[in-house]
Amino acid sequence: MAAAVAMETDDAGNRVRFQLELEFVQCLANPNYLNFLAQRGYFKDKAFVNYLKYLLYWKEPEYAKYLKYPQCLHMLELLQYEHFRKELVNAQCAKFIDEQQILHWQHYSRKRMRLQQALAEQQQQNNTSGK
Amino acid sequence: MENLKHRNYKSMGPELEVRELIEMLAISRNQKLLQPGEENQVLELLIHRDGEFQELMKLALHQGKIHHEMQVLEKEVEKRDSDIQQLQKQLKEAEQILATAVYQAKEKLKSIEKARKGAISSEEIIKYAHRISASNAVCAPLTWVPGDPRRPYPTDLEMRSGLLGQMNNPSTNGVNGHLPGDALAAGRLPDVLAPQYPWQSNDMSMNMLPPNHSNDFLLEPPGHNKENEDDVEVMSTDSSSSSSDSD
Repeated sequence: MAAAVAMETDDAGNRVRFQLELEFVQCLANPNYLNFLAQRGYFKDKAFVNYLKYLLYWKEPEYAKYLKYPQCLHMLELLQYEHFRKELVNAQCAKFIDEQQILHWQHYSRKRMRLQQALAEQQQQNNTSGK
Repeated sequence: MENLKHRNYKSMGPELEVRELIEMLAISRNQKLLQPGEENQVLELLIHRDGEFQELMKLALHQGKIHHEMQVLEKEVEKRDSDIQQLQKQLKEAEQILATAVYQAKEKLKSIEKARKGAISSEEIIKYAHRISASNAVCAPLTWVPGDPRRPYPTDLEMRSGLLGQMNNPSTNGVNGHLPGDALAAGRLPDVLAPQYPWQSNDMSMNMLPPNHSNDFLLEPPGHNKENEDDVEVMSTDSSSSSSDSD
């Protein structure tokens, strides 16, 4: 009975931990947040670096399916490198990453717009040649 | 005649002997110098020598036949040797081909195993794709213009409204974690501000708990994040932030 109760509290604790780690790992997709962490020296803390390594379990498909912002995984992988962590102290670095991320984010909508334009042009050509 | 008596017949070569004997006989016939007994002796010697010759000839013939047979056998041996070498070459080639085939088959098996391990139902993949695209997490909304606060990552607002943010400020945050000042100031509420952000927790099954290595990195992760969240608040312009029990 006591063991069951202990298990329950353990489960609840685990659930919370799951949620926290899920949130945290996705926050890593935010380059401004990373810059913030770097400037406060968190990346120099050995325990934090170990924690980042531990968070790599989110790459497994069973866990990855809960991620809404999958870009965080790429950031997590980059964060394993010391050089990247050091670079993130610069605000320019964070800004650059931010810009690139947003541009990439718009990649598909731009591609779709181009396709639509091409399609419209083609239809126009067909119309004029038909007549 | 004298020279005949003084020689030792047997020490000479057989041809010379015979020649000499015949010459002697011819001379003695002409000259009738030899005694009849001696003539007989010479004749007998001649016959004997002739016999020996015949024997030698037979032997030579026999040896010739044997030699011929030996040559034939040697040719056979050579032929068999080359056959064996040919077979050896073919065997080696076959072994190589088989080895390659086996190696490739093993590689194929390995890749089959790998593919099987990573197999995900297409339905799940489609569901996931839906989830991440519908919320504009990986693809910008079609009406996005610079100035739109939406981002491909969780924004400050979202971060603070989540569980991590709640841990610091259970009391000061508004209903459902919306920081009233912020939301109103923004003027528009993106639809991600659902009470439970889909990126924060999901229909999580109980056996999907994270691996517990909490002793490994010297610090308690939630406590650590608490500090972060605290500082995130300081970053914001929100007036409702309070200084909680941070170090």
